[in-house]
Amino acid sequence: MNETLTLARKELLDLRHDRIVWIVLGTLGVAVVLSVIVASLDYRAQLADYEAYVAQVTASGSGVTPAAPQLFPLTLLRGGMEYVEVLAALFALMIGYGAIAKERSRGTVDLLLTRARSGTSIVMGKLAGLAVLWAAIMAAIVVIALASVAMIGGATIGLHEVARVALAGVAGWVYVLFWSAVAVAVTTLTRNSTGALLTLLVAWLVVVLVIPQIGDTMDPDNQVPGGLFKALAIAKTDEHAVLDHFTAYESARNGLEVSSISKLYERFTFATLGIKDTYNGQSLAFIWDGTFRYVYGALAFTAAALTLAAASGRRIHTLRRS
Amino acid sequence: MTTAAISIRSLTHRYGPTTALDGLTLHIPEGEIFGLLGHNGAGKTTTVSILTTLLKATSGTASVAGHDVREASHQVRRSIGYLPENVSFYDDLTTMENLTFFARLSGLRRPEARIGEVLEFVGFTGHDRERVGTFSKGMRQRVGLAQALIHQPAVLFLDEPTSGLDPEGVKALRELILRVNADWGTTIFMNTHLLSEVTKTCTSIGILRSGRLVHHGTLADTVGAFPTDDALERAYFAAGTTTS
Repeated sequence: MNETLTLARKELLDLRHDRIVWIVLGTLGVAVVLSVIVASLDYRAQLADYEAYVAQVTASGSGVTPAAPQLFPLTLLRGGMEYVEVLAALFALMIGYGAIAKERSRGTVDLLLTRARSGTSIVMGKLAGLAVLWAAIMAAIVVIALASVAMIGGATIGLHEVARVALAGVAGWVYVLFWSAVAVAVTTLTRNSTGALLTLLVAWLVVVLVIPQIGDTMDPDNQVPGGLFKALAIAKTDEHAVLDHFTAYESARNGLEVSSISKLYERFTFATLGIKDTYNGQSLAFIWDGTFRYVYGALAFTAAALTLAAASGRRIHTLRRS
Repeated sequence: MTTAAISIRSLTHRYGPTTALDGLTLHIPEGEIFGLLGHNGAGKTTTVSILTTLLKATSGTASVAGHDVREASHQVRRSIGYLPENVSFYDDLTTMENLTFFARLSGLRRPEARIGEVLEFVGFTGHDRERVGTFSKGMRQRVGLAQALIHQPAVLFLDEPTSGLDPEGVKALRELILRVNADWGTTIFMNTHLLSEVTKTCTSIGILRSGRLVHHGTLADTVGAFPTDDALERAYFAAGTTTS
């Protein structure tokens, strides 16, 4: 355990000087703030349209007041969460790759191997360091998200909002840990650093972009911008009744989507933050009932990636320069 | 009878079809400064890699400080110090941060005092807060020696330790190697192809030719057979022709 802590501490010291860490934090922070600004402007535009419509209705002498657009403040974070889903995964992959590839390129791996108890302890020490780094980055993102919703969105932030954003932050941490563990495992097992990087980029492309995109394209509701059922003014209960006739198709589509950890992360965070309509204004118990299988799925993916990384430590001698 | 610090029996290593080490048998008593001589590709680095647990031999056995390199690799690592030919560090970390890291990996819980002691020993005080990436080759070699000695190992492995150093650096490192052996009784196993270094530093030598040990003996015995200024050079070439 002491050895793992020593290796984790060194990893953090080393990353302190690495520009990529500051680029990651800056990019994700700016992305979250920008997404909140864009969402707030959109909401204000909707509100202005509504007020103009109410003025017209009032001027026409009608006594009927249309319902105002509702704002669930945390929905302003939708874009920010999507950035985390796509960009943080890529950054986690790059940092995980760098943690191993740099030992090879610097030639420090020989000194490590003549000191450490085992290759597994070297890999786990590095992952422990990365886990701490990502916990710090995610904590910063949570603070930035809450502050931007309050200051830019003008929303009141209570304990419920803090808890929900913090939960999304924890989910993000598990998600990026998966990517860092995959990167460490693949880089350790691959003799050639360039080959490892290419493999990782392909994996990121498939899991983060291709699979979710295929799932979205297969969704009947996505065939029309804004939603097919909404465009046809079909109520949720009727929508479910229609979809009941396509259970096999829907199961296949859903199965494809949940084979991507990115989609599991997205479904959980969108539910927790109320971005998905079904979960707007619902209690955390209700949200848990609807999403616990996504949480278990994401945890299983991350545990598998960590196990693979630990096992890859047994092959760490492949990192030696011949 | 003297205890062997390093004991090697029928050690063979192959890289695919190439035999890098061919049945090496060698016993080095405690307290020796042993120089392993040989041309490039003779198998010197392969031997050190096996003895430092970096490489698993194809066949044969070896033990260092009484521990089998295959069966008790962790105990071997605790007993050895290693200075590779081109020593590399975490360049963005300071001398102190690098040495603290390697000391803790070697099991030292509070290494600060020991680091001070070793830095003073290698004559490198006043640089502990400086980043290693800013150091010259000679300075890095001193830090390298400090990291190899930080846990007071029983056996020290040096792979071409003077390679790339200027004459002052070579002299300083040679003196340090002699002091490590004299002051701490550390057994030293040194790979080199510089005959002059062996003459000035080692107490015994081995000569490898294409993976085979063609000569092993004390320095005095080896050069004694050739009472001329270039005695070791003559012994080196003679070993290649008479034994193999």
